Order: sequence, then C-alpha cells, then structure tokens
Amino acid sequence: MRNLLNFLARYNNLIIFLFLEGIAFYMVTHGNNYQNSRVVNGVRGITNGIEKRIYSARSYFNLKEINIGLALENADLKNRLQQLTKKEGQVFFSVNDSLKKQQYVHTFAEVIENTVNKQKNFFTINKGTDQGIRPDMAVTSEMGVAGVIVGCSKNYSVAMSVLNLDFKLSARIKSNGYFGSLSWDGRDYRYAILNEIPQHVIVNVGDTIETTGYSAIFPEGVLVGTVNDYEKYGGDFYKISILLTSDFKRLQFVDVIGNLKKTEQQDLEKLYK
Amino acid sequence: MINSILRFGLIFILLIMLQVLLFNNIQFSGYVNPYVYIMFILLLPMEIAPWLLLLLSFGTGLIVDFFSASPGMHTFATVLVGFIRPYVLRIISPSDGYEGSSDPSMLAYGFRWFISYTVLIVLIHHTALFYIEVFRFADFFRTLLRVILSSIFSVTFIVLIEFYRKGK
Repeated sequence: MRNLLNFLARYNNLIIFLFLEGIAFYMVTHGNNYQNSRVVNGVRGITNGIEKRIYSARSYFNLKEINIGLALENADLKNRLQQLTKKEGQVFFSVNDSLKKQQYVHTFAEVIENTVNKQKNFFTINKGTDQGIRPDMAVTSEMGVAGVIVGCSKNYSVAMSVLNLDFKLSARIKSNGYFGSLSWDGRDYRYAILNEIPQHVIVNVGDTIETTGYSAIFPEGVLVGTVNDYEKYGGDFYKISILLTSDFKRLQFVDVIGNLKKTEQQDLEKLYK
Repeated sequence: MINSILRFGLIFILLIMLQVLLFNNIQFSGYVNPYVYIMFILLLPMEIAPWLLLLLSFGTGLIVDFFSASPGMHTFATVLVGFIRPYVLRIISPSDGYEGSSDPSMLAYGFRWFISYTVLIVLIHHTALFYIEVFRFADFFRTLLRVILSSIFSVTFIVLIEFYRKGK
C-alpha cells in the first residue's frame, strides 16, 4: 500500500496527463464521425448567436452575386416549366406530380456558419427538425452539390461539406454514364477527386460530372463539377481531378433535398446484402 | 495572487477571442491556419504547479474545441503541450538559469530565448493537432507541410503580440 502511494505521489503528473489525454482522445474518436456528430451539433447551439450576427453582416456584401445566381436559376426553372406545360397539350402525357409520385421535397435554407480550411469541414444551416430537415438529406447550392445533413436540432442543422475527408458521393460522367466515387483529398477547396473510372473510358478535360442517385440521398443528375485533369492511377483506374461548381468559400443559400422514398429503397436493398 | 488570476484571465479571454473571431477565419490556400491561443500556455508563470498547468491546458483546449466545433482535437494538443512545457523550459534554460523573473516573457529573457521557446512549443502543438485532425498517415508529408507553414505564421503572430505587450 505504501509503495503504491509512493508510486502515485511520484508519477501523479504523468497520471493526470494520461487521464486528460485519454478524455481528449475519447472525444476525438467518438465525437468526430459521420453519424454521430451530436457533439458538434450541441456545441454549435452555444456559438450560433455570435456566428449568426457575423454572417448577417457578411451577407450584405454578397448580394449582387447572389442576385445573379438566383436570376440564372430562375431562368433555368422557367425553361423547364415551359417544357412541362407543353406536354400537357398532348393527348397522352405522363403525370409527373401527384402525392404518391413526388419523390423529392425541397427546402430552402441559409448557411450561417461554414469553414473550408479544415480537413473535416462542416457547415450549419438555419433550419432544423421543426422545418422538416432530417439527417441524411442532401444539400445543394444553386451551382451544385454542397453536402449532406448529419445532425439536426429544432431550428438548426449541421451538414457535412463535400470538403470533408469522410464525404463520399457516387458521381458519373454525364456524356457516357460511367460512374465512380467522389471524395475530397483535403488539399484545395475548389477541387475534388473522382476515383474508380476504368481506363478504357474516354475522359476529356471539361466533361461534366453529375450525381447518380444510387445512394438514395442525392437525386439523379445534380451538377457536381467539370473534369479539370486526369491521370492513370494504379493498374486499371483513372484518378480524375474535378473542378467543383459550388464555391464553398461563399456558400450562402442552399437547397435541402429530402428523398421521400429513401427508406423504401434502403429496406429493399438491405434484403439482398 | 488575485491580481495575477485577473491578469491571466484577461489574457485568456483576449487570446480566445482573437483566435475565434479573427484567426479561425484566416484561410490562405488551405495550408495555413495559425493557432495563436497557445500563447496563453506559453505565458503562464514558471513556478506553476504541473497539475494546474495540465488542467489549465485542458480547459483551454476544451474551450477552443467548443468554438471551432472540433471535438477533442485542440484538447489533445494543448494537454500534450502542458505536459511537455516544463521539459522544454529545462532544455532551453539560459546558462545562468531562470533568475530574476518568473514570467517566461521576451522582456525577461530576451528575443532569442523567447523565439526558441515559442518555436518548440508551437511545433509540438501543431504537429499533434494536424495529425490528429487528419487521423491517418496517408499524405504524411503534406500534413507535415501544413504543420510547418502554419507554425511559421503562428510563431510570427505570437512574437508580434509579445512585442506589443513588451511595448506596453
């Protein structure tokens, strides 16, 4: 017993050190992962007040660019509407939108906190469960994909940005339909990497990359970026550098997309795994 | 005693605010993120009890983690620095020992001593922080580059703040 007490007295600082380091390490490993960012979420509630004020001041400086973006998007939507109304004049037309057929719900939200300089970036939006936001919903900016919701409180949600080492997305080359896995390599906030495209596929600089919709999170055909550069990697695959169309440094207005049939698809897929 | 608690409390609040409101928003090309709040641990008096130093480091890391929404990473790095600081002080001690002042400041022990002290502590802190942030050894050298570049900026800012403090 006396030896033990002596031992403790002699190494007490080392023991405190190891104990505190243990707590820190536990937080790193249990609070940082994809599904369980509740720590991040809870903590954000405290700092939201300050950050909201900073962002509301900052949003004035971007109004001009945002207007241009919204005008472009508006024009695009009008074009699509034109195509749809035309169809209704035909004798036979397919019903696109009724309660049962609608697959995606869109919710508009504003980004109130965002980073691009870490290896695991998240951003916070100003809507939560009260506005119908749930984890695993897709987030897009007016220009392209932005992230995935990982945690929600009543009025706020935290989304994992594309600029996160844990982010994975199924994406394809629009021109020929070959798909691969998109991830971020932690280097430049403007570029992401598309892997698993076989080498017999013809890839051109400037090709459009869009989502596949296989994951049941993102709808099919959302713009991701354009091919910036590609190189042969390993034996069989290309490593393609993608110039992202979303500008994460001034992400401000986003569209949150929920898939109403996600659980149906996932339950079915689970049966065969 | 009360006086010094007040003084370090003020330094602490100022550094945390500087870090959260200014330096966390600085982004040069994704490689440089200066972390200046570590200066608080640098400035604590020399005769501080090791356990208190560890607890203060833990608290500092926890608060910075709170504000940058990064569970545990800063805490891990600051506790490591708090543990190592007495050893670093011993290694770089001047030939006549730490006579005169208990403040590890530039005013007391000169520019060269302060630089080497800061560089050592900042390097240890940034190495721990950036590798725990990436949490993998792939891209080892790129992370190393981030450590070195960010350390250069952190040291520069800390020395500038110290010059300002000295001038007062």
